[in-house]
Amino acid sequence: MTEFFQTHLGAGFGWFVANLILILLIALPLMLAVAMIIYADRKIWAAIALRKGPNVVGPFGLLQSFADGLKVFLQETIIPSASNRGLFLMAPIITFTVALLAWAVIPFGPGMVLADINVGLLYVLAISSLGVYGVVISGWASNSKYPFFSAMRAAAQMISYEVSIGFILISVILWAGTSNLGGIIDAQRGTILGIFNANALNPLLFPIAVLFFISSLAETARAPFDLTEAESELVAGYQTEYSSMAFALFWLGEYANVILMCALNALLFWGGWLPPVDWAPLYYVPGIIWFFLKIGICFFMFSWVKATVPRYRYDQLMRLGWKIFLPISLFWVFLVSGYLMITRYGALS
Amino acid sequence: MPKVTVDGQEIEVPAGATVLQACELAGKEIPRFCYHERLSIAGNCRMCLVEVKPGPPKPQASCALPAADGQEIRTDSEMVKHAREGVMEFLLINHPLDCPICDQGGECDLQDQAMAYGKGRSRYELNKRAVTEKYMGPIVKTIMTRCIHCTRCVRFAEEVAGVEDIGAIGRGENMQITSYLEHAVQSELSGNVVDLCPVGALTSKPYAFEARPWELKKTLGIDVMDAVGTNIQFGARGREVLRVLPRVNDDVNEEWATDKARYAIDGLMRRRLDKPYVRRDGTLQPVSWQDAFQAIADVNAGSSVAAIAGDQVDCETMYAAKALLKSMGSDQLEGRQTGMSYDVTSLDAVRFNTPLADLEHADVVLLIGSNPRHEAPLVNTRIRKAIKRGAKIFAFGAETDLTYKVQWLGDDLAGLSSLPQALADALEGAERPALILGPGALTIDGAHGAALKLADQFKMVREGWNGFNLLHTSAARMGGLMLGYAQAGGIADIVRGKPKLAFFLGADEVDFSQFDSSFKVYVGHHGDAGAHAADVILPAAAYPEKAGTYVNIEGRVQRSAKAVFAPGDAREDWAIFRALSDILGHRLPFDDFDGLRAAMFADVPALADEGLVPYDWAPPKLADSPSGVPSYPIRDYYLTNAICRASETMNRCSAELVHGVDMLEAAE
Amino acid sequence: MSFAQTVKAYTLWEFLKAHWLTLQYFFKPKATINYPYEKNALSPRFRGEHALRRYPNGEERCIACKLCEAVCPAQAITIEAEPRDDGSRRTTRYDIDMTKCIYCGFCQEACPVDAIVEGPNFEYSTETREELIYDKGKLLENGDKWERAIAANLAADAPYR
Repeated sequence: MTEFFQTHLGAGFGWFVANLILILLIALPLMLAVAMIIYADRKIWAAIALRKGPNVVGPFGLLQSFADGLKVFLQETIIPSASNRGLFLMAPIITFTVALLAWAVIPFGPGMVLADINVGLLYVLAISSLGVYGVVISGWASNSKYPFFSAMRAAAQMISYEVSIGFILISVILWAGTSNLGGIIDAQRGTILGIFNANALNPLLFPIAVLFFISSLAETARAPFDLTEAESELVAGYQTEYSSMAFALFWLGEYANVILMCALNALLFWGGWLPPVDWAPLYYVPGIIWFFLKIGICFFMFSWVKATVPRYRYDQLMRLGWKIFLPISLFWVFLVSGYLMITRYGALS
Repeated sequence: MPKVTVDGQEIEVPAGATVLQACELAGKEIPRFCYHERLSIAGNCRMCLVEVKPGPPKPQASCALPAADGQEIRTDSEMVKHAREGVMEFLLINHPLDCPICDQGGECDLQDQAMAYGKGRSRYELNKRAVTEKYMGPIVKTIMTRCIHCTRCVRFAEEVAGVEDIGAIGRGENMQITSYLEHAVQSELSGNVVDLCPVGALTSKPYAFEARPWELKKTLGIDVMDAVGTNIQFGARGREVLRVLPRVNDDVNEEWATDKARYAIDGLMRRRLDKPYVRRDGTLQPVSWQDAFQAIADVNAGSSVAAIAGDQVDCETMYAAKALLKSMGSDQLEGRQTGMSYDVTSLDAVRFNTPLADLEHADVVLLIGSNPRHEAPLVNTRIRKAIKRGAKIFAFGAETDLTYKVQWLGDDLAGLSSLPQALADALEGAERPALILGPGALTIDGAHGAALKLADQFKMVREGWNGFNLLHTSAARMGGLMLGYAQAGGIADIVRGKPKLAFFLGADEVDFSQFDSSFKVYVGHHGDAGAHAADVILPAAAYPEKAGTYVNIEGRVQRSAKAVFAPGDAREDWAIFRALSDILGHRLPFDDFDGLRAAMFADVPALADEGLVPYDWAPPKLADSPSGVPSYPIRDYYLTNAICRASETMNRCSAELVHGVDMLEAAE
Repeated sequence: MSFAQTVKAYTLWEFLKAHWLTLQYFFKPKATINYPYEKNALSPRFRGEHALRRYPNGEERCIACKLCEAVCPAQAITIEAEPRDDGSRRTTRYDIDMTKCIYCGFCQEACPVDAIVEGPNFEYSTETREELIYDKGKLLENGDKWERAIAANLAADAPYR
């Protein structure tokens, strides 16, 4: 596609237009996906609580999120008089932009990636670390005590869990021998005796797959780690003072992040766009379908956890992050690298 | 002093007490319907059954059984409980279960006692008795099906009110209480039968279905319809006084109230002055308070100012006006609107010296130009009680029905100078002689002096007894006299002074043509004569709408509390004078009601303590040769003041009871 | 921590059990109904919107006894009464402040003539607060509108009273 535009529009401008179209091709369906995922979230949650969930707007309530979006859009934008106006408006934009940025390196299928860079995973890590800025800035700029508490909590929580996520990723990178996401997926082909295409089914990597899943819950501040918006303590957390589109941006960003984390789970541990089993007929199904299926299953688990586990206390959250996840993930780096040194690089021989 | 045992508790009871009274002394509650402390004993409801030993082995009616030495009374035995349940079941056989539409509901003796002493169910399955309604006049509504034949109403009418208008016909179940030929009960006290009725057979007609007792906010007040100072209780809901009930005060009103005290209150919601008015181009136009005050200030009266107090104002109002006038340099105060000018140098000589409770022990009573039945119905009941104890009543004045037997001595007061022998003999031999000088007589020169001379001649003032009484009709009179609202020549002195500015404190009985040259300011609550004549109207509070001090005929200081707020822009009187004083540049030295009271008490210390004001008996020497026929000033008992005249009920009473319009026939 | 507990903790055994449980709930039939289109059956004792009833001949039942006003724990009822032209005891004002009402049903229990009842209607939300201050006209209108349902409910519940 890039070539097509470059031949017609010239090298520079053609490249620009082509990439713009590609970005829109990712971002717009992503927005749609967010809307549907919110709907799915509510439906799953309702089903477990023996409720029906949204079912009035559109067939089966499918248009519920759009109705909510419209309602939010029509709301008045309220900017607290004591807030820092510039920062206050910037915070949701940061959150939303950052949530979109990481998608640049996510491969949807073989070769279907916007930016096929070798430091893909590093890039994802870097971008998701930036996400905390949106939260901290909104908490600060609101000039209100609950949003501020919430921002403090969010910052500490994200930083804590990013540490163990980092070590988990190191293990994965070591195992794959590359930090290019496409490479990591390829490395998962035929994990166990050439049968499965998933790191998670590798006994050595399975525990960190679980660890990563739990850490991604914490990273996206989903239940049971949604302490940043623990409504009984903090009203609505850092979003308390927000309304209208600013609020909607937080909302979209949050769910885009959730989908991103689901995608990362699928990529790093469940074989991305590879079929689950390394069996030739399954390869006729397009890789992107396998990928979306895996994201969907992962998101179902996110919702399932949310509907099942009660919220952690903040000190428990911190204890879990620093005293359990960090040592274990660190230990696993040692374990994986040791195993690889012995098996792949022949350290003992 | 017999000694009896009540439920194992030995007590000594006064001689002549009944078993029921003995039980009450012992603190036991005895249910009763027909028995009433102030009425004769009937013994026909049987609710007060108790077990008495020695005696027949059956329960006995305690209200009619004298307590005797050595009696053993049980009020808590199984027999008594059973007897009460039985009596209650019988009473309820014919009593309809219409409590929800009955006005007595919530304050019904039958309801309460059925709850406390009843069985809770009935075995009666036949039809209940139904009784046609009887007509008892504009005050009493009858639902005779509810009657339990206690005959309290019959006894009250006969014994206290003195009118034999209510009676019973028929026997047993077919007995019916009725008024004589179904005419209105000709009594000023008929409203009391509503309170007496233990069930809802007699209820209040003007108050019909208006409110339940639990809805009313109760405030303790003093009645101002006559000068007796009846202790009353206002029952108010929201901004409206819905009913007035008497309070028990044995020294003043026992537990009765006149119909006027009870039912004139509906006049408080009609013809009220609720905003200030100023007369411009001959018509009264509503203005703001500020403009009204300015109009008064524009008169520039200097010290040429006078104040006339009406019949129903409280002492605080009069004091506030007095303080304003004093600061302006005037003492032109007068309360006797109709022009009376009796001597007030000694307040003892112008009050009702015999305490009302003692009046019933008088053995000779001489009425001089007085019709107590209209001037003070509750004084009349005291005289009736005295008669029951054997007193003789003599009277100078036009013959009229006072509800008891009177020896009329002619209507010309010249008779006071040469007393008839019968009267002289009676007074000579009397131990507690009393005379009552009515307001009719006070208009006749020399009557006051002649009465004082008579009192002196027959030693009516002796150790422990003072039989010299003046009967005022105005609730404000004694307080006004104490505060100096009296000129030597009466209101004529004020007229002679030609004040530039004249305040009328609710005064409606004045001949306003005398004040043509004055700027007239009416401070009052009703659009009556005073308001019509006024140049400026300042809307003030009526008696339930302000706290106040009233002094009754005996010189008894009593205080009334505020029950409701005055309507519209109307304000409490004292506050009006306080605000006006600012505009006139003579700021009064008090900012709140307590401050006003403190200043008033400093001025007239006698007002500070509730109860009888002590004065020494020092009668002045006055002219004592009266001649002339006194006329009773109250022509229409039900329409004596602005509130009554605005009252629908009082107008109906007047039409029917005074002017003889037959409402029953008119309705049919 | 015992060995068994440690194993349980590190294998997330209790979490798995919990998720298994919630997964079963996920597939269970739902307890809720599709409200505006489906409605549950109401008990005859259901206490919904108030109504003032009439006798079959059109005469209003309420006799202004004020027992409901007295018993109302929220003091939501205001009644004023006076004799009607035929001398019977009737209300001139019967107001219920539905924003104060707590739907305890004491008023209908207190009513000696079954005049004030809480009917089966619960769908009467309004856009303004003022509309929820019911006067006598509104209550009688409710009574007329719901009379059949109210009468049926009273009859159904009568044997237990």
